[in-house]
Amino acid sequence: MFAIDDDDVILLSCRRILEKAGCEVETFSNGYDGIARIEVVRPQLLLVDLKMPELDGFQVIERVRAIDPDVVIAVLTGYATIASAIEALKLGAYDFLPKPFTPDELRLLVNRACERWQLVAESARLRCEKEEAERRFVTFVTHQLKSPVVAAKQYLDVLVFTAGGELSPQALDWLSRSRIRLGEMLSLIEDWLTLSRIERGTFCDRRATTDLLEMVERVVDGMRLQVESANLTVRVHATGAVRVCGDANGVGTVVSNLVSNAIKYNRPGGSVDISVSASGREGTLEVADTGIGLAEQSLPSLFREFSRVRSDATADVPGTGLGLAICKRIVDELGGTIEVHSKEHEGTRFVVRMPTPEGDDSM
Amino acid sequence: MSEEKTVLIIDDDPDFVRAVRFLFEAAGYAVATAPNGRDGLARAKTLRPDLILLDVMMQDRTEGFFTLEQIRDVPALQATPVIVISSIYTDHPVFRIGPGSGWLPADLFLPKPADPGRLMSEAARLMAPGYAGRSMAEKGSDLR
Repeated sequence: MFAIDDDDVILLSCRRILEKAGCEVETFSNGYDGIARIEVVRPQLLLVDLKMPELDGFQVIERVRAIDPDVVIAVLTGYATIASAIEALKLGAYDFLPKPFTPDELRLLVNRACERWQLVAESARLRCEKEEAERRFVTFVTHQLKSPVVAAKQYLDVLVFTAGGELSPQALDWLSRSRIRLGEMLSLIEDWLTLSRIERGTFCDRRATTDLLEMVERVVDGMRLQVESANLTVRVHATGAVRVCGDANGVGTVVSNLVSNAIKYNRPGGSVDISVSASGREGTLEVADTGIGLAEQSLPSLFREFSRVRSDATADVPGTGLGLAICKRIVDELGGTIEVHSKEHEGTRFVVRMPTPEGDDSM
Repeated sequence: MSEEKTVLIIDDDPDFVRAVRFLFEAAGYAVATAPNGRDGLARAKTLRPDLILLDVMMQDRTEGFFTLEQIRDVPALQATPVIVISSIYTDHPVFRIGPGSGWLPADLFLPKPADPGRLMSEAARLMAPGYAGRSMAEKGSDLR
């Protein structure tokens, strides 16, 4: 409990009355000292005189609320006027006490203020618990959703692996289709979990940094098999490492989704060109493919959830429809931009710009 | 002297256990199973398996991780190869840093469902006489 008053007698009586009631009291004869102390130690309650020569009570209230709005403030008013009390309340004070006051009146005020402080603290704690419970729920739900699909797919995977030779071509084909569909379900659940985490702010971390070039190389290496079976050429153009703001999870997911799309929507014998460059305050990633391209009208809604371009060319392409929505959300979270350029039947190019540690204004 | 190697599967999903057990038995391994961490640890102590497959998301969220630590606390099991296999690891998107990789004393992390071919070749590698054991540098690299 802090008390700020230019009148030493008031400070002394506050201290005596409140310490007798079991409170820890610190006193200050001017606003500056009190505020300086509050920046270091948060009191639960602040008693402040309205009329003081240097910094008056109103200014103290404003500054303390800016430091921590949870500190409960009560004003001691020297005037008998209600107007100043109301003014103080409007600025954020919780209660007021006209001088002169009796010990009982002071104790009553302090009790009310303490109750208020406890309510505020409790509400903050409950909010934290609720967020934690929501997070656990999301993880639990995705695990529960995945479990049966995982079990079913595992059976089918083992069946085909061990007994594939004994099965008819039709049986094998149906099993293959089943495994693919189950795999899509798992991808969808995983994407939903990712979106949920991004929304919750727990997926990517803007304070970390990642080397864009190294990430591109890792992703391309991991997709070697898909590139080979699609008969594509992948080229990476870069002059050196490019560090951008964002953790490996966030940046990696963006790179991975864009490269995966470039492979999926390509044509046999085509190519994927990935460029990584930097210019002072931002790093740029470009992923271009020689694929089927996109019609002009599908571009505006491309980054929306479940926005998938349905055409004969895309009918067999697997995907959850969330990949680009996830990219956009991550890029937004990390303070960057993403844009798409495309011509139907000719190819598509995505350009992602992300702040570098030097260029990030929020750091 | 039997050349037969033993694999212990610690997992609470009976279907998963059945499918993977079949896979290993078809390849000539003896298989034991346990539905939870506590039984799994007890089984591991008496059986001294050549390989342990461990899920980390069983009934209790931390059960698997805890079980792994306990397994490593048993001197005879310190070098036993352990594959942590869980649906919390995933191949989608291609890139993923799984939770827990990098500091867990496991030899390998695999996503569920496990690709049978990959699981078999990794299992054979970990049970081969030439396997040198887990190194700090390898952790986390198996998820790509």
